[in-house]
Amino acid sequence: MMQNLPAKWDMEVDLVSVGSGAGGLAAAITAQDNGFSALVLERAAELGGVTAYSMGEVWIPGNHLAAQAGIADSPESGLQYVSTLAMGYGDERAMRNQAIHGPVALKYFESAIGLKLQVIRNFPDYYYPQTKGSAAEGRYLEATPFAAEELGEWQHKTRLTPHLPAGFTHEDIFHGGGLANILGWDYGLLADRLTKDLRCLGPGLAAYFVKGALDRKIPLYTETSAEELIGDGERIIGVRARRDGKDLFIKANRGVVLAVSGYERNHDLAKTLSNLLDPVSMVFGTVDGAHFRLAGPAGARVARMPDPPNLGIHMPGEEHDNGTPLWRGSLPFLGLPHTIVVNSAGKRFANEAFYRSVYFAVDAIDGATQTHPNYPCWMIIDHQARTKYPCGGAMPGQDLPEGFAVVAGSVAELAGKIGVDAEGLQKTVAQFNKYSEAGADPEFQRGTSPWGAIMTGDLNHKPNPNLGTLSQGPYYAIALKRMGGGGITGTGLLADNHCRVLGWNNAPIPGLYVAGNSMARLDTGALMQSGLSNARGMTHGYLAGLHAAGRPSNLLERAEMVP
Amino acid sequence: MIDTTQSIEIDAPIGQVWGFARDINGWARLMPGLQGCEILDEDRSRWTLKVGAGALVRTVKVAVQVQRWAGPEAVDFTYALAGDPVKGGGTYRAVALENGRTRMELTVQVEGTGPMAPMWEAMGRPLLPKFARGFAGQFKAEVEQAYGAAQVPPVKRSILARLLAWLLARFLAWIGRLRGRAARAAE
Repeated sequence: MMQNLPAKWDMEVDLVSVGSGAGGLAAAITAQDNGFSALVLERAAELGGVTAYSMGEVWIPGNHLAAQAGIADSPESGLQYVSTLAMGYGDERAMRNQAIHGPVALKYFESAIGLKLQVIRNFPDYYYPQTKGSAAEGRYLEATPFAAEELGEWQHKTRLTPHLPAGFTHEDIFHGGGLANILGWDYGLLADRLTKDLRCLGPGLAAYFVKGALDRKIPLYTETSAEELIGDGERIIGVRARRDGKDLFIKANRGVVLAVSGYERNHDLAKTLSNLLDPVSMVFGTVDGAHFRLAGPAGARVARMPDPPNLGIHMPGEEHDNGTPLWRGSLPFLGLPHTIVVNSAGKRFANEAFYRSVYFAVDAIDGATQTHPNYPCWMIIDHQARTKYPCGGAMPGQDLPEGFAVVAGSVAELAGKIGVDAEGLQKTVAQFNKYSEAGADPEFQRGTSPWGAIMTGDLNHKPNPNLGTLSQGPYYAIALKRMGGGGITGTGLLADNHCRVLGWNNAPIPGLYVAGNSMARLDTGALMQSGLSNARGMTHGYLAGLHAAGRPSNLLERAEMVP
Repeated sequence: MIDTTQSIEIDAPIGQVWGFARDINGWARLMPGLQGCEILDEDRSRWTLKVGAGALVRTVKVAVQVQRWAGPEAVDFTYALAGDPVKGGGTYRAVALENGRTRMELTVQVEGTGPMAPMWEAMGRPLLPKFARGFAGQFKAEVEQAYGAAQVPPVKRSILARLLAWLLARFLAWIGRLRGRAARAAE
């Protein structure tokens, strides 16, 4: 155990949360509610972390809101589903821990901070119906609109997302025809919400937790970087932080929670921990693996899950508000009708309507040829797609900005321009057009997933929401770039069921906790389910806060005692 | 279409305000997020702006056309975004007040075009008043600063000092002519 006590402490609290997403704030709130003081350190200028950048989905099987809506479900059923998704890479106890505590944490924060979530109706699990334990609806929750004026001086220091207008809920988007049918959305409602700063999605979810911390007068230190953990030889008892160019030695009597998301903005860590080469990223610059830098000297153990790259697109001229180029996830566009994804051979290689299928295929290495057979890759669309659907930040019918896409009058010409095998691409398009007319894709089963139809398809398109011909020029090719997982990374700190960080001897490091995406995903395993990250964040924060307060949850042990 | 009107009193006479308003470069310089302004002629200019909407910042190119210069009281203008289906227009109005002050009123309209017009207008509605208010405030500050600086009384030179300066200038010119003649004589 490290021993690096300072000559003097500048301040003293009971719990320090490093990071201000749902995980860090949930831990601080829980500790404070149990009689202990808390402090939140945030390196960025704004609060909310990756939670605020997310779609704001919170996936909790067996939650009481679904039950109130008359939807039958249980944590056990959810656990069965997650266990299958884990493909043996997860840890059964960690998955059970999340299954048990997710609904409990939700109820706690509803009561404690006034968190108001609602069921996203008719929104199925990723692998519904084929995977046992999957549900047609009820597990996806989202924040009801939050009036950001309630944040007072923190209103404009709490993050928004550049990825979607924060004035719509999933319900609103689905009611308007889904992500594909942007022309049908209720823009009067959006204008009203934006004008009143009523926040939905990730910004709304984050705002609830920020408000919870403000109500408790928990100090929130932005632009304050945790530089080093401090140990007394037996436990972690503080943090050295940098604020206003000066060191700040903060004593943390009950412990320190690391909740700083992942590491994808650090190319070295992305390469060595995720084998992700030169990734672009949809998140902000502080998501750079601070938890490894901080916990490494304390002997923290790391663990890795399968971790394929996402695929991103960049619209020239779009930036984050800190001036760095903005990359968008390609997920909502790949499975639209009149759209395919091909490799250099001009061949499709996955089910474009289900991003997990595409991303794992992109990650493949051909050991015989020493190549990534499916990278580089391109999204190919035709005039019909441009007329009907958004593409990145371009609206239907709007000219694509210069430098975003390669355009050609024919498929063969397009292939020549991007260096793809022309004959291969022409054959692929011809075959895909036959599938589209038949409404079935026997190669990759595109268009068979209800989730894929809703999130990446056009529900108004017949006969299949994910299949439509590429038959009208001009044709467009958009290069897809390897991208990090939006803060959801494969490698993290290993922890026990109280979110105590474990050492390489598998013993907890006293005084050190981890929450959210900073924790290794032993509780999910190989395949993620969207909404689990936010659920994990708030659940981990709750568990860490309870343990630090000396009131650890015993629900897992009690469940294990039931024969 | 959405619009906003921002009215502001400026502590400077209307003539001074007009001196500022008639210069397109001056307008452009005050525009939040301006990256560049290309003056094409007296009426037309092309501005490059970084516009923030929530956490998203986009670089947009705007073609601005002044439809009417009617100084010092009025300017009418139109604009269109390159690559985005958004256009609009606006007016500048100035009225002289007592005590050498001026009331400036700035009206800006934004009109989305095409099927996505409702989206552009929804996104613009909360931004537009903020944008126009910021611009009007900056305009007032710039004019008042310039006018305030101009109000600092210049050091007045006496008639004697001006006579001495004139004599000095004549003398230097005479010396110069003499040097020229001497140089030519030496050749």
